Amino acid sequence: MLLYENKKAKLLNILKFGINPFKKFVSTGEIKEDLEFTSSRNELVNTLSETIKTNNNFILPIIGGVGTGKTHLYWILRSGLYRHNTVYISLETGSKRCFYNMYSNYIETLELEPLRNTINHLCNEWGALERKYGFFHVVNIDKVRNNALHKLSRHFKDNEQVALRDVINGITTHQLDPYKRVDAERWLLGELMDVREIARLNLQNDLRKNKNAYVMLKLLIENARKGTVIFIDDFEKLIAMLKPPEDEEEEKIFDPSWLYGSESSPDHVEARKVLKKIMKLLSIKGMKVVITLKSMDALEEIKNIIRDIDENFVQSFLDPLFLLKLSEDDILEFYIKNMEHFLTSINLYDFYDEIPEKYFPLNEIVLKRIYKNTDGNPREIIKMLIKIFNDIIFSEEELENVLFKYERSL
Amino acid sequence: MMDESISNVLFDSVKDILVEGEFKGSIITKCLDPEDSIIFSDNMLISNTEGIIIKDGLKVGYNLDNNKKKAFSIKQDFQWEDFRTIVEYCIRIPDEIMQTYSEGQFSDAFPFTLNLLHTAGLYLNDFKYGVNHLDFFTGEILKNPVTLILHGILIADRVVIKEDGDPVFYDCLIVGRDEHEILKVGYEPITNVEDVLLKYIIILGTEELKL
Repeated sequence: MLLYENKKAKLLNILKFGINPFKKFVSTGEIKEDLEFTSSRNELVNTLSETIKTNNNFILPIIGGVGTGKTHLYWILRSGLYRHNTVYISLETGSKRCFYNMYSNYIETLELEPLRNTINHLCNEWGALERKYGFFHVVNIDKVRNNALHKLSRHFKDNEQVALRDVINGITTHQLDPYKRVDAERWLLGELMDVREIARLNLQNDLRKNKNAYVMLKLLIENARKGTVIFIDDFEKLIAMLKPPEDEEEEKIFDPSWLYGSESSPDHVEARKVLKKIMKLLSIKGMKVVITLKSMDALEEIKNIIRDIDENFVQSFLDPLFLLKLSEDDILEFYIKNMEHFLTSINLYDFYDEIPEKYFPLNEIVLKRIYKNTDGNPREIIKMLIKIFNDIIFSEEELENVLFKYERSL
Repeated sequence: MMDESISNVLFDSVKDILVEGEFKGSIITKCLDPEDSIIFSDNMLISNTEGIIIKDGLKVGYNLDNNKKKAFSIKQDFQWEDFRTIVEYCIRIPDEIMQTYSEGQFSDAFPFTLNLLHTAGLYLNDFKYGVNHLDFFTGEILKNPVTLILHGILIADRVVIKEDGDPVFYDCLIVGRDEHEILKVGYEPITNVEDVLLKYIIILGTEELKL
């Protein structure tokens, strides 16, 4: 059996390979976060979950400063809301071809089998399971398409009818025409297809066409077994896009005012378009939208812009929830959770049960100093932890000396 | 997976069950004629005065034509006042079983399934007029088989003929009598039947099933 000193030495040796337990200080919508929130944030998560479960067609703002864990909150919601598909949308990448991007992200979250189930359910509702003589299922694809069109056309505007026909044809081809099923599935997954492939499926456009993507989204979301939460991160990017450019003195070869007028700009027009699309998205039955913002001022500014477009729409906004900074106890809990996660990944499951030091290789004094120095901002805390662990890993000095340095300098 | 309930039996000449009324759903009528015919319908009216009335039913069986037994399927209305000598039983398949049966048909795409245009006999167990095309279709998938077994009826979405000549039925509805002669209904995703137990297999043609 190893003595506890040897366990500590073993961990330090592993760290010296260059493995830092703290790596990521910026959360993204693409890379999954395994760590849970600290327990002081449970109340916020519970309130948020309850709001999502009990309400429909709302926009719920989450206010939190830079680095407070707004994007991390997405992963917490995604893993906690079992009966919802929680879809991450970033306005950084998603403002162009807005509905197509939303659709792609939705499909990525939904996954293939639930998508097949939903469109199977839709086809059955359109009469695909009609039985001749009470028993024999005979595919009459045109009759199913007509049924679908008859049922759905009144729920879409006149300029969306072509898209609706495309969507109905795509779904019924996938379900009822086994010879074209593979191509139809590629179309349903939002793959880019050439004109010949689209024509073979008897369609006009693929889902890059925003109207097609919107109609697909509406049908899938309204008929999916699970509810849908759209999580739009950094919503105040829209405000930045709506503001006029700062360096107006700069000489330009092409002056956008020739096209957009002196009051507007390409970004301005795009931002208003995105906003209108998000407002349209909220008209989908059962849609729930969570947005993150850095301040209350930004929220008010967004509401004012929306008032200009549609006065009544502001009523869809629920009272904001606030993502606060971590407390002093939180940093200790956060450190322990992260270290335990790291130790599990290197097969040292019971490390802290076998040594007396609770926060090894750091100590409580250093952690509290970090807290004071960073004012409880999670991102700054992680950055500081990365720096200290890098010192432990790469410094020639003894651990005690490294810690002593930080106990005094921080 | 046989259904224990007998409430779906509308008429049974063996157990002397008769439920009067008008019925909708998936109804199988087994006839007592020499053709061993089966009638599929989505409606039925039973009354002691008018007898049994079926509108737009599909009758399936083998009949003798030019000294040969040929499979047939014919769409027609039926009305029998003295039905007790003509019909063995009428049974309605429960909706939940039909739901499972329908879902089984869509559970996967079989693009290489053979659909026959006209109804044809695949197998008939008859000493004098026997039909056996099982070898010809070995390894193929045939759509819409209707099968009469010694003590029951089997309707499947598709049938595959194994190398040894025995058919394997997929997505099957089975109607039959247990050891107490009670009628039961069941669903099986796959059923193996030895050819010695078969009375006949008929493959329904798509022409007869056109909407």
